[in-house]
Amino acid sequence: MAQFLSGYAMYSFSSIVVFIGLATLLHLQFGVTGMVNFGVVGFFGLGMYSFGVFLIQYQIPYVISMLLATGLTGVVALGLGKIILDLDSQSILVATLAIATVVEDLATTEKWLTKGVIGLGTVPFPFNLGPYSQAAYFLLSLVLTVLIVLYASKLESAPYGRLLMSIRDNEPLAQSLGKSTSRQKLYFFAITSSLMGLFGTLHASNVHFLVPRMLGPGVTFTVWIALILGGRKRILGGLVGTLATIGLFDFVIETFVPIPASAQSQLMPVIKLWIYGLALMLILMYRPSGILGEKK
Amino acid sequence: MAEKKLHIRNVAKSFSGRTVVDVADLTLGTHGIEGLIGPNGAGKTTLMNLIIHRLKMDHGQVIYFPNGKELDISNKRTDEIARLGIVKTNQVIQDFESLSIRDSLLLSLSTTKYEQFYKIFSENKLRKEAKGEIDTYLDYFRFENPGGHALSAGEKKLLDIIRCLVLKPKYLLMDEPTAGLSEEQTVKVIELMKRKTEEEDMSILVVEHDLDLIWNVSELVYFMAEGEILLQGTPEEIRKDRTVAVKYMGVSHV
Repeated sequence: MAQFLSGYAMYSFSSIVVFIGLATLLHLQFGVTGMVNFGVVGFFGLGMYSFGVFLIQYQIPYVISMLLATGLTGVVALGLGKIILDLDSQSILVATLAIATVVEDLATTEKWLTKGVIGLGTVPFPFNLGPYSQAAYFLLSLVLTVLIVLYASKLESAPYGRLLMSIRDNEPLAQSLGKSTSRQKLYFFAITSSLMGLFGTLHASNVHFLVPRMLGPGVTFTVWIALILGGRKRILGGLVGTLATIGLFDFVIETFVPIPASAQSQLMPVIKLWIYGLALMLILMYRPSGILGEKK
Repeated sequence: MAEKKLHIRNVAKSFSGRTVVDVADLTLGTHGIEGLIGPNGAGKTTLMNLIIHRLKMDHGQVIYFPNGKELDISNKRTDEIARLGIVKTNQVIQDFESLSIRDSLLLSLSTTKYEQFYKIFSENKLRKEAKGEIDTYLDYFRFENPGGHALSAGEKKLLDIIRCLVLKPKYLLMDEPTAGLSEEQTVKVIELMKRKTEEEDMSILVVEHDLDLIWNVSELVYFMAEGEILLQGTPEEIRKDRTVAVKYMGVSHV
């Protein structure tokens, strides 16, 4: 039991829960409000790396580092959002993708701060419960993700949620009814992006060692694929999609399917991407609103 | 005669060199309902869009007089202007695809008091507060499925008008409000326009090609052609005018 609680399973569960959190935040940004954030990993990575820098390089206490990193991500999102959010979707897509690339590049090149490709570590757990640390950390991530999902479900039938949906559906019409859509988009983008940063800080403790490779666009694509697969407009779309992708591959298959060690590292990632892509194509062709479908 | 609501000074707008609106001096809203007529391409919709700043004017000034105060709204955003009390119904159908009729009206009635990201438990309060008003409108205009979405083009058009009315505007711009409505709904809209302007502090500027409607509801009519306001007068005066006959009715009103 103790072995299970400290082993790969718990690490894997923690990652899955973090990705469910990210996908649900993307649901809020894109599914509800229509903001095309293609820089998920930028905000996630900014939170993760700035947390690591605060904690390790500057020896700032754990919780304060976490809050600082989350806040910093929010401020960057606010600045970026101010410039781009009133542009059309394509421009927002490119700009967010660009900021994610900038974050990845900075993590690689600013060696004095991030130690570059050598990596930044070790990020400890915030508490030491011996063999139960990993499990306790999983529970912490789980609680946060559940809170985000609950928020999303409550938002759906709240005046604020209705306002965000009206922005997605017809922003000029919402404006003509007196809604200051630009400001609302900006604040919501900054808040949800900073929460992506918060999940980044959580992930940092889970992986213990930060390397720039983790900040590649693959994270963004995975979260997008999960959300589209699950259903972008559905509250549980991110959850279902993440379980069907990362949950299935990084946990179920890696744990229960006997794969020869040689194929494990070489072949599996390729096959995984191949199947993600195929699944995405099939969903877009035959069930464009995702596994969960349209709301009735 | 009521106090004037708007004063438009020297407002011009051109699209790629062609002047679409060029209004030197125009006072609006001294009557309950005023009509704005003119041939297609005269600049009627553009003028309305300039007032609510949906379009940016090349130069000029729009002065608004809410409750006797004087306020330059030339540089305000559409949403600010709406909150100040000037809104416009749309000629082309505009709707929120995922909002039901009631949701759409709740959106319109909701204010920033409710629309904060942390206020996710305020739905019941808003619904309770808005119920009476929404039900009044839904009872008045019989929607086919009042619990669901607006179905036909006509219903969407009605919903667009109601969304504006629940905002209790001081000045309402209506761009061809009855185009596409049934006879019965048209009568209801007209009756509502008259009642609202009589009972409340609301003035309406209506653009219509249905001239019978214009003659019937308007106390004052403006005639617009080639971007300029050429004439203004009572419906009788405008009706009898030569210029109007030649430029407008002579062509389209056989």
